[in-house]
Amino acid sequence: MMPRNAAIVGGGHADWGHREATWKDLAQEAGKATFDDVDGLTPDDVEGLFVGAVQPERFAFQSHVAPLAAELLGIDVTKMISRTELACASGQAALRYAWLAIAAGQLDVALVLGVEKMNLGDEYMAETQASMTNVLDREFDGVNGLNAPSFFSMFAQRHMHEYGTTHEQLARVSVKNKNHAANNPYAQFQTEVDVDDVLDSYPVAPPLCLLDCSGITDGAAGLLLVSEEKARELTDTAAYVTGSGQSCMAGNSINNLPSFSGWPQATQAAEEAYDQAGIDDPVDELDVAEIHDCFSISEIIEYEDLGWVEKGEGGQFAEDGRGELDGDIAVNPRGGLLGCGHPLGATGVSQALEIYKQFTGEVESARQVPDSPETGLIHNLSGSGSVHSVMTLARDPQ
Amino acid sequence: MTDADDTTVRSDGGSEPPRRTVTIPDSIELPRLLDFYDLQDDEHTRISEFYDRLRDGSLSTTECRDCGDLQFPPRVMCPECTSDDLAYVSLPHDGTLFAFSAVRGSGPLGMTEDTPFVTSVVDLDGVDVKLSARIDGADYDDLSIGDPVTLEVVDIDGPTDQHRVFYRFRPRGDTA
Ligand SMILES: CC(C)(COP(=O)(O)OP(=O)(O)OC[C@H]1O[C@@H](n2cnc3c(N)ncnc32)[C@H](O)[C@@H]1OP(=O)(O)O)[C@@H](O)C(=O)NCCC(=O)NCCS
Ligand SMILES: [Zn+2]
Repeated sequence: MMPRNAAIVGGGHADWGHREATWKDLAQEAGKATFDDVDGLTPDDVEGLFVGAVQPERFAFQSHVAPLAAELLGIDVTKMISRTELACASGQAALRYAWLAIAAGQLDVALVLGVEKMNLGDEYMAETQASMTNVLDREFDGVNGLNAPSFFSMFAQRHMHEYGTTHEQLARVSVKNKNHAANNPYAQFQTEVDVDDVLDSYPVAPPLCLLDCSGITDGAAGLLLVSEEKARELTDTAAYVTGSGQSCMAGNSINNLPSFSGWPQATQAAEEAYDQAGIDDPVDELDVAEIHDCFSISEIIEYEDLGWVEKGEGGQFAEDGRGELDGDIAVNPRGGLLGCGHPLGATGVSQALEIYKQFTGEVESARQVPDSPETGLIHNLSGSGSVHSVMTLARDPQ
Repeated sequence: MTDADDTTVRSDGGSEPPRRTVTIPDSIELPRLLDFYDLQDDEHTRISEFYDRLRDGSLSTTECRDCGDLQFPPRVMCPECTSDDLAYVSLPHDGTLFAFSAVRGSGPLGMTEDTPFVTSVVDLDGVDVKLSARIDGADYDDLSIGDPVTLEVVDIDGPTDQHRVFYRFRPRGDTA
């Protein structure tokens, strides 16, 4: 059987932030927003359901969440149903499996849903932070209190040490993304900030400060992914998956990570995706990218390791504004994780949906990428950065 | 349907349904595993020798007798050649700070009383092992990349009768 093309034809979000709502509430809100967004598809049309969710067992004391979501959204799954867990990349992983199922001819219409409930009330932040540390090897690394801010801070420190990257350059990333989020109605952080705000914020995990960090976020996002045949029946503008790569270099615990100032896994995953999509020069050929800015330093390293600039020049890329809406590649027009927050399982789904919305021109005008973008990329890292996942999207399938 | 009427008029003639109180425990004891430290004896883990040696004051790890691969953390199978013929070998107790940060916001469960504390990656001297470790006896602002540090054995005083241990590091020369 020949692989078939698959495309995003719409989707929607729950509001993100500290929500007075349960996991199940969030799933329903995103499901409703998704079906409201897509004319011509209802829950009855969905044959496959793919749910990205990282820790419902801990945050919501609930397992087997995919059939729970199917029931809540009225989806009679006839072909394929599963939940994916790949820490911060769970949403993209769910999307990837949906794509593969459609490509393999197993089904024509899939709902990809990402849901995470992370805020358990201020008095239980320690539980949430514990659940973030056990994403690392708990026995040898999580036990040392390495939550995400302190872990990624060491990448910031090493990158500064090895390449002379400055905190001002990092702050440029936070400013760009948070200012995009200020125009995104579902984002957790909708306040504009400047470089000084970032540098003067509390050094919660030095050298990184509060405004260098994404948040602890309740949120959900859904999208409908359909076969090319179905997409052409439904709409003129869709976002086709053109390539997808993942890499994990047999290293997950601290001693076995390949680097503390770079992610060769990102390079490997991106090369795989570029190759499938026929992209030779990503800076020239990509119009918009949603990349994993869990911390400001992450985006700097990703400029380099996604192959956009030489190693060590990520800070300069930020300083030169090359990732602004009118720059070489519009990076994180959605507001990124820094601005939207990061409900783990929902993030990758939301990023992919943003690429679609940028193609159709449906986003708020203040964060619309100019000149009708036609090609896009999403990237997520997960856990200790041990895995990187990259997917390319385009308005036209090849 | 969600638009069903929500009238408070009762269809059952108005009598109150039976009602009772059920009591659930005030707190629920979680499995020991959830306190971050494993149960370290040979009834619970096959790397108990690592912990036994640490309890005796020595940091160690496994090395493959077939291909010579040195692992950290210790294993039961060699990831290079799949052999399970592994030997415990001692690791140096001195190293240098490769990278470090501090946890100053809310700490993870069980560590909230400890904040702020320094976390780090320590590059052990003379061997290709970098491990994560908390640094005792220093604040973030006192430290620089490359600073010499030395092993500290930590006895865990916790909710099990087992004598559990772990390791941290402290600046070398600091014997406090
Ligand atoms: C950075 C972090 C530790 C801050 O948590 P905290 O110290 O407990 O902060 P609190 O939740 O008490 O919030 C304090 C204030 O800062 C704000 N705030 C919290 N996190 C914020 C963030 N990331 N960006 C901007 N503001 C933030 C809160 O809204 C609150 O503001 P208020 O006082 O006006 O209400 C936490 O947001 C965090 O862990 N972020 C990373 C999430 C993560 O690990 N993701 C996975 C990435 S791989
Ligand atoms: Zn071996």
